[in-house]
Parts: sequence; C-alpha cells; structure tokens
Amino acid sequence: MNPRDKSSHPHPHELALFSGDDLPRLTSWRIRRHVKHCSECEHRVLLLRSAKAELNREAKSETLTAFEAIADWTRLEREMLGNITVGLDAARCIEKVGHGRKLFLRAGLVTAFVSLFAIGWMTHIPREETGHLVSSLDRLFTANRTQPVGTVLRSSPYGITVRAQGAALTILHPPSAVIGVSGGSAVSARYIDDDTGQVTITKVYAQ
Amino acid sequence: MRSRAARLGSLAALILLSAYLSAAADSSARWFDVEFPRDSPVLMVSSSLGPLTTAHVRGTSMVLDLHAALLVRNTSTKPISGLTLRVEAQDITPSGKGSVTVPSLRVEPGETFPVRIDMEISRPFNAPQADGALVKVSLDCALFSDLTSYGPDKLHSSRSLMVYELEARRDRHYLASLLQAGRDAEVREELNFGLQDFVPQELGLELLHAPRPANYSGQPVNVGAVAFPSSPVKTIGGAARVIGNEVRAPEIQVRNTSMKVVRSIDMGWIVRDERGKQYLAGSLPATVQLAPVQTGSMIEPGTLRFSHPAGEPMSIGALLTFVNDVEFADGKLWIPSRADIDEATRDPLLHRALATSPEEQRLAEVYRRKGMSGLAEELQKLTQHAPTSR
Repeated sequence: MNPRDKSSHPHPHELALFSGDDLPRLTSWRIRRHVKHCSECEHRVLLLRSAKAELNREAKSETLTAFEAIADWTRLEREMLGNITVGLDAARCIEKVGHGRKLFLRAGLVTAFVSLFAIGWMTHIPREETGHLVSSLDRLFTANRTQPVGTVLRSSPYGITVRAQGAALTILHPPSAVIGVSGGSAVSARYIDDDTGQVTITKVYAQ
Repeated sequence: MRSRAARLGSLAALILLSAYLSAAADSSARWFDVEFPRDSPVLMVSSSLGPLTTAHVRGTSMVLDLHAALLVRNTSTKPISGLTLRVEAQDITPSGKGSVTVPSLRVEPGETFPVRIDMEISRPFNAPQADGALVKVSLDCALFSDLTSYGPDKLHSSRSLMVYELEARRDRHYLASLLQAGRDAEVREELNFGLQDFVPQELGLELLHAPRPANYSGQPVNVGAVAFPSSPVKTIGGAARVIGNEVRAPEIQVRNTSMKVVRSIDMGWIVRDERGKQYLAGSLPATVQLAPVQTGSMIEPGTLRFSHPAGEPMSIGALLTFVNDVEFADGKLWIPSRADIDEATRDPLLHRALATSPEEQRLAEVYRRKGMSGLAEELQKLTQHAPTSR
C-alpha cells in the first residue's frame, strides 16, 4: 500500500472507525501507518475526532432525553421495582380490609351457634347429666395431673359408695335400707334381703 | 371425605369398645374371686353371678354390675351366729373396701346358708389395671354361738358381730317375754306394724375422709347426751362445729363410772334437723383406755355431711349422743338393756331409734311373712340357747 496513491486511501468509514478506536488491531495498525504519512487522511481523522469531542461535550451539557432515560437500565429498574412494591402494598391494604370483615362475620356466626347450643343444652339436658359430663371431662383431662385428695364415702338410695382416685366401689341395697355412720371411716346400710329374709349389713370403708 | 373419616373413626371406637367388653365378659372368672382359708369354719359350696351381672360404659369409665350369690356351709363343730365377708376391689384397694355382714344367724354345723353380694364397680378407662380378679371376697370374721370368733378381723368386725349378737339375744328374750305374757299388742307396737311414723327415717350422708386444716371453722354446737342408768361410762360434755349440713370434729368427754378398765367405747349419734325430726346417724367407736373414775375425750377428725334421701342438704338443728356399747379390758362387752332404753327417754321416736337392732328388724320381717305364730316359733327356736350377756 503506497501512501501517495490516492486510490489506496482508506475508505472514509474506516477513517471514522479509526478516529473512535473502534477498528481491529491489525486494521487499526495499517490505517495508522497510512495516516502518519498522509496529511489528507490525517486531517480527516482530526476532523472526525474533534466532531466527536464536540458531540460528547454537548451531550453532557444537555438534559436527559427520553431515549437516554430508557437507556439507563439501572435507574429504570429501581423505578419499576419501587412501583411494583407500592402496588403490592396497596393490594395488601385492600385485601386486609376485606379479610377483617370476613373474620368479623365468621366470629359472629360462631358466637351465635355457640349461644344457641348453650341455650339448647341448658333447656333440654338435665343438670345431673351436665354435672356428670363435666366431671367426666375433668377426670379425663386431669387424670394425669391430679393428686389423690382422700377418700369419700357417700350414700344414695341405691347404694353406699367409696370413691378414691377416680374409681368407685358401690355396694347396692334396696331404697328402704337404714343408712348410718359406722366408725370414723365407714358408712353402713342395713336392710332385709327379700330373697333370704336375712338382715344384711353392708359397709364401705376408707382405710 | 371428612364425614367418611369421622364415621370410620366412630366405627373403630365402637369395635374397640365391644372387643374390650366382650373380652371382659368372656373372662367373668377374673371379675370375681372367693377365697376362704383352708382351716376356715365356713366353706363355699357354690357361687354364681346372676343374669343381671353386666358391664357398660358411663362417661369415661367402665362400670361393672356384679350380682353374686354364694352358698356357704358351716364346716365347724359350733353353730355360727354371724359372718362378715370382706369385699376388695383391686383397683381402689387399699384406700377403699367393703364388707357384707349377715348377723342374727343360727347355722348349725353342716348346714348351708346363702349370702348375696350386689355391687357396682366404676373405674376410669385410663386407670392401670391390677393383676388378679377385679373383686376379691374373703372371710373377715365368723362369730360362733359361744361368742368366740374366727378370722383375720382386718375390719374389726368381730366386735360388731358380738354387739349384734348380744342385741339379738336381748331383743329375742324381750319379745319372747311379751309373747309369754300375752302382750301381743305391745309386740305389734314394738315391731312397728301400722305405725308409719316409727319407720326409721332415711338419711343420706357423706363422710369426707381427707386431710383437713387444724382450725375448723363453723358454729360451735353443744352435743346433748341420752343417758342409760346402767351404763359404765357417762357422757359429761361434748361439742362439734356445724356448718349448714356439715358436722366437723365432734368431740365428747366421758367418765368411766365402773370398777373395771374400759378398752373402747362406741358412741351412738342422733341428728335432729331444723324441723325437729331425729335420725339415728350411726356410731363412732373409739379406743379409749380408761381406768375406773378416769375421764377421757374422743374426737372424730372426719367431716360428716347430712342430706335428705332426695339429696337436698339437711340443716342440722341439734346433736345427741349416747353410749352404744362399752368394751372392757377383759374383753367383755356392755350394751344397754331394754330397761335402760325405756328409762332413757319418753320420746317414742327417740325410743324407737335407740331400740331398733338388726335382730328386731329381722323378727319384724318374720312377723310380716308368717304372723304371730311364726314369730313365736322363731323365738322359741332361738331362745333355747345362750345367755343374754357376756
């Protein structure tokens, strides 16, 4: 390649790329050698470089254009994430308002149902059954926690009972039996056995 | 889906319960066991659980209804006057046990007699199951007509049987003497026929046998005394704390007025409600070593709670006490005579309460079933033997 030969001048677009250092190294080395010895091409390169510098200077001094804003991905990403977060928070606020109403409605329904059940229970179930159920549940849930609280002896029209630690032994008798204390730790029942005609005395003890 | 699971769960629970109950039913021998010592004066001829014997569920507990009929033979050489069988439920032993006593017997050697035991046992499902039979019946004491006894006497039933026997002999002789004198109207009156007011008042009571604080609250009430003229022990004072239908810490001071050393005293208690009705509440024996003329006090630490048979609490108006029997250091017993009872009170209801003994109750049943001739025959048979006191 002869620098004096006009036809051997680099193509203008190669000079433009050379001025911006955008050529491959081998091509850039070949163009640099030509420009070093060719004043015309050197002048063109200088013009291109000064024009680029002028453009950069003007770009820095001007306000950000819409295109340049789109080109700023980091800033755009921050803005988008911020908008999404605000949107989600707003959605949550709206959702909570609805959820509270639903909870209130459900609580009201449960309260009404429990009240209806309690009223029905009180008006239809005998008190003895309730007491028995409560004591049974109490025994069920406190069986492993409670300590023995002593022994209780009790009479009823049908038997005398010794009760201890949740278990009970009842010796049965007819309703006509005569009940009495027999010592400090026993209750007795005396009756006539209808089948044998014998007097029978039963006792339960708490010893 | 949920309802299907619930149905399956219920079905499984029912199957498990049925299996448990059927297993229990199959092993009825494990429910009930009767044990007499080899040298026992009574032996069991047969035992059976009646058709009413069942098992069922009540709340969180399993309930067994046991209705046992025993046939017992006197294998000794002496007539038997009374018998006490001890009934122990393994699940609540040692804190709770029961007994069945048959007093006023006259079982000659070789004869048999029946004893019935009707009971109900309730035990929680989660209670640990003890080894052995659920209910164990054993001999506690057998009293012979000569007032000697046999048996371990763990329930102190020997003394009770002896008192019953002495009362029985006293009442048999009393009624026999009335019959011999032709005082049939007095016999009828004595046996309560046609006199509903004299039927023993039914009473509901509860004995709380749990630790209590040392200082009891409640209104202090003086305890009145019914005195028997020939009693070797006199009541000189008494007090108790009363709250509504509860009597707490009753205490009685007594003096030995005999010339013998007293080993123990059994004090009878009468409760008077707010309407003036009197109830024989029972008796409280106490071991009190009293030399002649010595005084002593007896205190019951438990709490007694009284109620009417229907269950409503009974408001306690007054408390009365009397000496039911006295045991001397030589083993002899004193009980009030008929003359003592007659002189102690003019109140017919109180008189009735003091005079009613197990034997009189039995003789009243004989009279109801067989009439005056049957009663006379029974008394003639029984009064041929034994002295009237010990």
